[in-house]
Amino acid sequence: MSDGAPGSHWLAEDGLHVDTRGLGPPDPMIAVLWHIGQPGQRGPVTVYLDRNPIYLLPELAERGWHYEYAVRETDYVRLILKATE
Amino acid sequence: MNSAGSFLGGAKDRLLPASIPFRFFLSASLFHVLAWTVLFFAADEVARFRGGPGLTLAAIHLATLGVLAMTAIGASYQLLPVVTRRPLARDWPARLSFWLILPGVALMTYGMAESALTSMKTGAVLLGFGLAVFAVLTADNLRRAGSFPVVSAHGWLALVSLVAFVALGVLLIWDLESGFLNNHLSLAVVHMVLASFGFMGFLVLGLSLVLIPMFVLSRSLPDKPGWAQLSLTAMALAGHSCGILLGNMPLVWIALAAGLGAAGCYLWLMRKSLNSSMRKRLGLPFILIRASWGFLFLCLLLGGAVAGGADIPNAPVLTGFILLVGWLLTFLLGVLQRIMPFLASMHAAGKSGLPPLLSELTAEGPLKVHAICHFAALAACVGGLLLNLTLLLQIGAILGLIGAIAFAVFAVNVVLKLKRPK
Repeated sequence: MSDGAPGSHWLAEDGLHVDTRGLGPPDPMIAVLWHIGQPGQRGPVTVYLDRNPIYLLPELAERGWHYEYAVRETDYVRLILKATE
Repeated sequence: MNSAGSFLGGAKDRLLPASIPFRFFLSASLFHVLAWTVLFFAADEVARFRGGPGLTLAAIHLATLGVLAMTAIGASYQLLPVVTRRPLARDWPARLSFWLILPGVALMTYGMAESALTSMKTGAVLLGFGLAVFAVLTADNLRRAGSFPVVSAHGWLALVSLVAFVALGVLLIWDLESGFLNNHLSLAVVHMVLASFGFMGFLVLGLSLVLIPMFVLSRSLPDKPGWAQLSLTAMALAGHSCGILLGNMPLVWIALAAGLGAAGCYLWLMRKSLNSSMRKRLGLPFILIRASWGFLFLCLLLGGAVAGGADIPNAPVLTGFILLVGWLLTFLLGVLQRIMPFLASMHAAGKSGLPPLLSELTAEGPLKVHAICHFAALAACVGGLLLNLTLLLQIGAILGLIGAIAFAVFAVNVVLKLKRPK
């Protein structure tokens, strides 16, 4: 758990990973937006969710971030986020 | 390959087909225009209104059922599955409820305006069935709720209030013909309070716990004040209903105090959310939403003034106007102008990429016109009621009508942009 965002996160070779599983709305969205809003963060950011984050997608667009589904199951979704050029 | 709509429209994504919420929102926009139009023609009788058929009753129901309930039902179908983490069992009952509620409201309000009992009764029956379908579908979703028990509990109490106010409404309409009720006016007051503070109030208070943090981008709110607002609202409604029906004024006073307590808890939660907002500019919707919170307190204080017999001209009508137009209409129009572009953007989103920007889907100009006209209409109508000036009420209704047309332009614009081929 970070100071500024709900959920957990860690850095790996392929970039930042943010795990929001188990959080209620709107905390997953808050966690993702907080992490991608950090100075210098351009992605890729891998996000783990236990639902399709339908309300997050317009917010990503507003911030110029591109998303791609790596996994999309009923109770498990993994998104890869990258800032657009 | 899936199209964008079907990709996100699957039940497991808890996103309904766009046509379901938008048909409710567009109808609400249309009824909004009609409500102010009818109020204009009712202006000379509004201040004296104490119940009974006529243009004032029609204007009230165009606003409450046509605008407030339509908006709340469309938003509930879309948002409750997200909160409960369970999709609606089926889509078709949501469509069916719309096709029962739409003609039901039209027919019933026509009957009210023309004092035509058959139209009123037929409309009430259609509306009753439509609301019953909504209630069953929502109850089924709440029954399977997997998270947010405090929001689900608000949903349950909204449904209990719905059943009670619809039953009372039907009873009141039938009483117009046969006059079998000896406390028609008291029951009408209870009907109005259960519909506005009960059904609409529980939905607004409950969904705000998720919606407002989502809009302002703040963390989820604590549960305990949410349970407190729920308990106090339930106490206020039960106390007020019993107090009015039994003629027991101490109960009414206790109910008013509980209502103020509930509003205090609600405002504390909303303030907490705003204080931790990650969004720098909250924009026009939040000017309306914040103002609506002020009107919530004002209408409760005015309710106290009415109960205490304070010498305020047309105080009962003024209280009802502040409650329905000041609090509920202002709040829901603020929410609607935020949520419609949001939903449109979500529905336009695909498997990957960038959905359309919210700024591309909204229409700032018409929304500014609406906000200015809405507040000016409120001020003029309140002035008209306080000063007993029909002309001022008519000016208020015209301003409200201009605002409603501007809002409808915004709503149609969102739908046209959503339908435009990408």
